[in-house]
Amino acid sequence: MGSVAIDDVRCKGCGRCIVECPRDLIGYSNELNERGYQYVVFKGEPEDCSGCALCAIACPDEGIEVWRRPDAQTFVTTTGLTERMTHYCPGCTHGVVHRITAEVLEELGLLGRAVGIAPVGCSVLAYEYFAFDMFEAAHGRAPAVATGAKRARPECIVFAYQGDGDLASIGGNEILHAANRGEKITVIFINNAVYGMTGGQMAPTTLPGQVTTTSPFGRDVADTGRPLRVSELLASLGTPAFIARGAAHDSKSAIKLKQYIKRAFEYQRDGTCFSFVEVLSTCPTNWGLSPNEATRWVEESMKPCYPVGVLKEPPSEGGET
Amino acid sequence: MTTTTAPTTSEASTGAPPKLLMKGNEALAEAAIRAGCLHFFGYPITPQTEVPEYLVKRLPEVGGVFVQAESEVAAVNMVFGAAGVGVKCLTSSSSPGISLMAEGMSYIAACELPCVFINIMRAGPGLGGILPAQSDYHQATRGHGHGDYQVLVLAPSSVQEAADLMLLAFELAEKYRNPVMVCADGMIGQMMEPVVFHAEGAGPPMADNDWALTGCEGRERRIVNSLYLAPEELHAHNLALKEKYDRAARDEPRWELYGATEGYDLLVVSFGTMARIVKSAIDELTDEGLRVALFRPITLNPFPYAACRDAMDALPRDGKVLDVEMSMGQLITDVKLAAAGSREIAFMGTAGGVVPTPDEVAARIREELGAG
Repeated sequence: MGSVAIDDVRCKGCGRCIVECPRDLIGYSNELNERGYQYVVFKGEPEDCSGCALCAIACPDEGIEVWRRPDAQTFVTTTGLTERMTHYCPGCTHGVVHRITAEVLEELGLLGRAVGIAPVGCSVLAYEYFAFDMFEAAHGRAPAVATGAKRARPECIVFAYQGDGDLASIGGNEILHAANRGEKITVIFINNAVYGMTGGQMAPTTLPGQVTTTSPFGRDVADTGRPLRVSELLASLGTPAFIARGAAHDSKSAIKLKQYIKRAFEYQRDGTCFSFVEVLSTCPTNWGLSPNEATRWVEESMKPCYPVGVLKEPPSEGGET
Repeated sequence: MTTTTAPTTSEASTGAPPKLLMKGNEALAEAAIRAGCLHFFGYPITPQTEVPEYLVKRLPEVGGVFVQAESEVAAVNMVFGAAGVGVKCLTSSSSPGISLMAEGMSYIAACELPCVFINIMRAGPGLGGILPAQSDYHQATRGHGHGDYQVLVLAPSSVQEAADLMLLAFELAEKYRNPVMVCADGMIGQMMEPVVFHAEGAGPPMADNDWALTGCEGRERRIVNSLYLAPEELHAHNLALKEKYDRAARDEPRWELYGATEGYDLLVVSFGTMARIVKSAIDELTDEGLRVALFRPITLNPFPYAACRDAMDALPRDGKVLDVEMSMGQLITDVKLAAAGSREIAFMGTAGGVVPTPDEVAARIREELGAG
C-alpha cells in the first residue's frame, strides 16, 4: 500500500522516475505545468506501489515523496536544502548530488556546523539551495577558501562543491595542493565532461572524440591532451586521503554515491584526512542528448574512462594503507 | 592598553614599554599579533619574506595558524575563507604577488570582509627587481582587480610607524568590513630600527558580528557572496560600497606636515621611504635658511586631498610644489587632483630600485627655489 506524492510544479519532466519505477507506475501527464514542463504523474493504484522510492532517489528536483504505508514514509525531503527550485536543466544530476550532500549532513547531524563553498559554473547558485552557511568563491579557488575557513574554524564542516572546469582546469593548482597538504576538508567534484554554464565548451575531462563547441570535430587528444583523471591524480599523492568516484545518473549509482559522500564527511568530522568524491554527472543539454540517452552515455562512454569506486582510503589506525 | 609584556630590555622593569630593535618586516608581523591577528596565509617573495618567516615561529606561541600557500592566488583565497568565517587574518606579499592577489581582493571587497594585506613594494614592471620602489602606488590606490571597489591603504615611513599602522589597519578593516593594505617598500621592510609596541600580547579577536559563517546552529543561515544577477541589486550593492568609501574618505585621511610649517616657499609631497629622505633634505635646507615643508600622506587611500590642498594654499603666490616619488609619476596623480589646476606641480622621480639621497633631493629643491 505505498504511495508517491509528485510535486507537479517542481517536476521538469526529465522522466528519470519513469525509467526507475520497477512497476511502471509513473508516466507523463498530458498537461504542462506552470513552468512549461510536461510533468509526470503517478498512474497506478496505491496497492501497486511498493514504496521502494527509487523514483525519488533518481529525481534531481526534489519533486517526489514516498510512503511504503500511510504511516511509514520511505523518502522524506531533506531539511538541508531550501525549498527553492533549482535552475538546472531537466535531467541534470546536480540536483541529485545537492540532495545527497544535504541528506548526509542532516543524517550526521552536521547541518548546523556546515560551511559550503559554491564554485563558478552551473552550480554557482548552490548557495541558494543548500540551507546552511555558504560561500560563493572565485573560479577554481574553492579549495583555498575552504583551507582558510577550516584552519580558522576547525569545528566547522567545510566542503567545496566544484565542477570540472572550476576544479580540473582553472583550479588545478588549488585542489592539488589542498589535497597534498591534507586539509581536513571535503571536496565534491562534479565531472560532466563539459563546461556547462558557458554553453558546452571542452573541459579537461572531455572524452576523446567528444564534440563540444570548442572541439566541434571531436576532442583531438593529439592537440588537446587526454581526459584529466583528477581522482587518480590525487590518489597518487602520498598524503593520506579518502578518494572515491561515484555517479548520479540512476538510483543505483545515487545510493552508492551517498555512501561515498557520507564516508567523506565522516572522515572530516573525525579529523582524519582530506576527502574527495568525484561524481560522474549528466549534462543532457550540452551533450545534445535526452535525459535517458545521457544516462546511457554515462554508463557506456564515461565509466570506461572514469571507473567508479573507492580509489584511496586513509590508513586504518595503527595499520598500513 | 596598559603596559607591554615582552620584558626583553632593561626598560621593562621600569614599567615603560620596551624598545626593541627589529626589521620592518618583523615589526609588521609582530604588530599584527598585537592587533589580534592569529591567522596568516602567504607565499614567499622578496623583499617581504621575513614576515612569514617571523610568523611561522611566532604564531604557534599564541595559538595561531600559519599556512604557506601554493601561490599568491591561493593565499588571498585562504584569507577570503578565514575572513569569511570571522577571524582577523593577514597576508603579505610584494608587487608581483599583489598582482596575483588582485582577483581575490576584488572578491573580498565585494563580500565586505575585513582583512589586512602587507605590500612591501619592489621595483617593476614585470619581474623588475627586488630593490625598493613606490611604483605600485596606482595599483594600491586605484584598484588591483576588477570592479568598483577600493582598498584602504596606509603608508608608513619608519619601522615604528609600520607597527603603529598595522594596529590601525586591523581596526579600519573591521570598522569598514573591507581589506586594508599596509603599503611600504623594501627599504622599510628590510631596515632595522627601534620599535615600541604599546599594545600588550596578542590583541582581541574579531568582535561578534552578524555576517561571519560559523555554522548556522541556532540562527538563520548566512551567505558570503558577490554574485548579483539582477542589475538593480548589483547597482544597490555598489551604491552601498560607495557610501562606505565616501565615509572613509571623510573620516580617515591621515597626513603629516613637516619642516617650516609656519611658513614655506616650497612644499614637497612625498610618502613612505621617500618622505623620510625628503625630511633629511629639508633639515639640511632649513639649516641653510631655506623655507621648505613636506606634506606626507599617511593614508594613500583615502588620499588627504583637502589637507594637501590647504598645504599648497599656504604657499605664497610664487611658491612651488615638488612631487618626489620612487616611481615615474604615480603619486603626482593625486597631488594634481589636490591642486585641481591651481598650481604647477614639479616632478622628481626615480625607478628601478634607485633611491635618491637627501643631497640629491636637496639639490633639486634648491634648483626649484633658484637657490642653487
